Amino acid sequence: MLQLLRSEVFRMRRRWMPWIMLGLVVLAAFAVYFLIWGSTQAQIELLKSGQAQPQGAPTLEQLREALLIVSPGRVQDFGVSVVSGFGSIMLIVFAASHVGTEFGWGTFRTLLAHGAGRTGFLVSKAVSLLLYAAILMFVGTVAAIGGSYVVSSLAGLSTGSGVDVAEVARAAAKSGYTFLPYMALALAIAVWSKSAGAGIATGLVVYFAEGLVATILVSLNKDYAQIVNWGLSRNASALTRTVSSGQGGPSTPDPTASTLPDPTQAAIVLAVYCLVFLALAYGRLRSRDVTVGG
Amino acid sequence: MLRPVTVQPPEVVLRTKGLVKRFGSITAVDGLDLEVRRGEVVGLLGPNGAGKSTTIGMVLGLITPTAGAAEVLGRDVRVRREDALAGVGAMLEVTSFYPYLSGRDNLAAIALLRGGGALARVDPLLARLGLAQRGGSKFRTYSLGMRQRLGIASTLLPDPALVILDEPANGLDPAGQREIRELIRELAGENRGVLLASHLLYEVEQVCDRVLVIKKGKLIASGTLAEVTRGGGSYFEIVVGDKARAAQILRGLGVKEIRETPTGLDVVAEAERGAELNRALASAGLYASALIPRASSLEDVFIELTETEATNAPAAS
Repeated sequence: MLQLLRSEVFRMRRRWMPWIMLGLVVLAAFAVYFLIWGSTQAQIELLKSGQAQPQGAPTLEQLREALLIVSPGRVQDFGVSVVSGFGSIMLIVFAASHVGTEFGWGTFRTLLAHGAGRTGFLVSKAVSLLLYAAILMFVGTVAAIGGSYVVSSLAGLSTGSGVDVAEVARAAAKSGYTFLPYMALALAIAVWSKSAGAGIATGLVVYFAEGLVATILVSLNKDYAQIVNWGLSRNASALTRTVSSGQGGPSTPDPTASTLPDPTQAAIVLAVYCLVFLALAYGRLRSRDVTVGG
Repeated sequence: MLRPVTVQPPEVVLRTKGLVKRFGSITAVDGLDLEVRRGEVVGLLGPNGAGKSTTIGMVLGLITPTAGAAEVLGRDVRVRREDALAGVGAMLEVTSFYPYLSGRDNLAAIALLRGGGALARVDPLLARLGLAQRGGSKFRTYSLGMRQRLGIASTLLPDPALVILDEPANGLDPAGQREIRELIRELAGENRGVLLASHLLYEVEQVCDRVLVIKKGKLIASGTLAEVTRGGGSYFEIVVGDKARAAQILRGLGVKEIRETPTGLDVVAEAERGAELNRALASAGLYASALIPRASSLEDVFIELTETEATNAPAAS
């Protein structure tokens, strides 16, 4: 098993895709910080110039208050949510690709013919994905911290007591944990369909649509929470205490937060989902005859 | 005092017992028994769809047998697959590697999976298979022949007791095919067992000690090359003008199988009857321009065996 994992990490390190994704998450973290600063600064300049503003436009004070979101003291809220927004999508894509391409290239069959076991194959895939998710969250969060300091300095904001490292690490770990069932789902679909594309499509559709539907249902009637709270998105939200808008960028406060499940229960439900998806993938791998391709 | 010497038969590295695989209503492999010993090259022959690749798939644990068992180095593949395959190097018909990795890195990835001293064998194997110069190039840039060579190199990473090669000469030029034939004989010389599935009967004739012919998943002939080709018999190619009269005379001598050819007749008879046939024709005033003794080649036997419906045909040995 360890030999297979070593081989897996060796191959992953030589692939472009994981490196490109790391680059993108760093770029995205910096870009969002600069975008927030740039657009707020532009509005401040406009107000200072004395040009007439439409009714309901934010005041100078409100804009200065809003700009504080980029300060290092807020990285655990804003920075981590930016990284989560981009990171979750990238990790779903990567999970499906990491497994699905083995079937597309026919290398699953090659690995088995060289003595790899099906259990070992799945475990090494899952462990390497876990490892990569941790690296991506770490690199993304460090980039967000860097972006926060750079932009704070450019905006002339006080860095105060700086980053609360423990709080940022806790927020990043919680966010990363909520991606795991989506990654496991993408992996399971890739195994069943022998296709990276099907895994990516299913993973992303569930990621975007389920959260949206759950939020709409609970907004319509809070009793629906008893049903949708068994889904992925509500449990993920319960852990991070925000509702993903399904897009990168700042998260919005959850209008239905009072109906979210208990965080401990949410963590258990998400873990169960991971196990169920991995078990489904395992069952399929075990029972399938591997002919041409995989 | 001299002690009697007991000669041990070579170790069996692969044995299948009653191997069966059904895909729905189709029986791909039907009760196949085969053995490969150390130091021998066994050819697995059969027309397309005969069940060769399915058999190899079951030996490697890629396909679950419906019935029967495959043992590698005495270990049941279904029960102790990873232990059993530790001593096997296999190259499948479709050679698949990671397109974004170089040839060297592909071998290294498999070597890491194999463990032991496999990593140290990567560069010597690239050199042995003539890929040292292109070892750093991406696999996706390799020609079909280079891919085959890399596939063969990968089989030798674990220093295997059993090497399974499925159509190893696909895509190789004649010089490359010769190199592979020499390599296969070298592998047997290194006391490894080799199971070679091939469509190239000339290749099989050159390198195999024994052959197994399967059709529709059933073993229809097996034995040494001499034993299998003897099953096809010897015959005479006779170049003669009056074919009808010649055939009539030869039938009078008890010859049962006579085939007409554009230049004369092919007459199935024992090799020692050449003079008798010639004398009979000459006595009747029919002078043969040529009377050439021929032995059935593996190709003749293969075509004869596989074109005949052999549902109940016994194995040749």
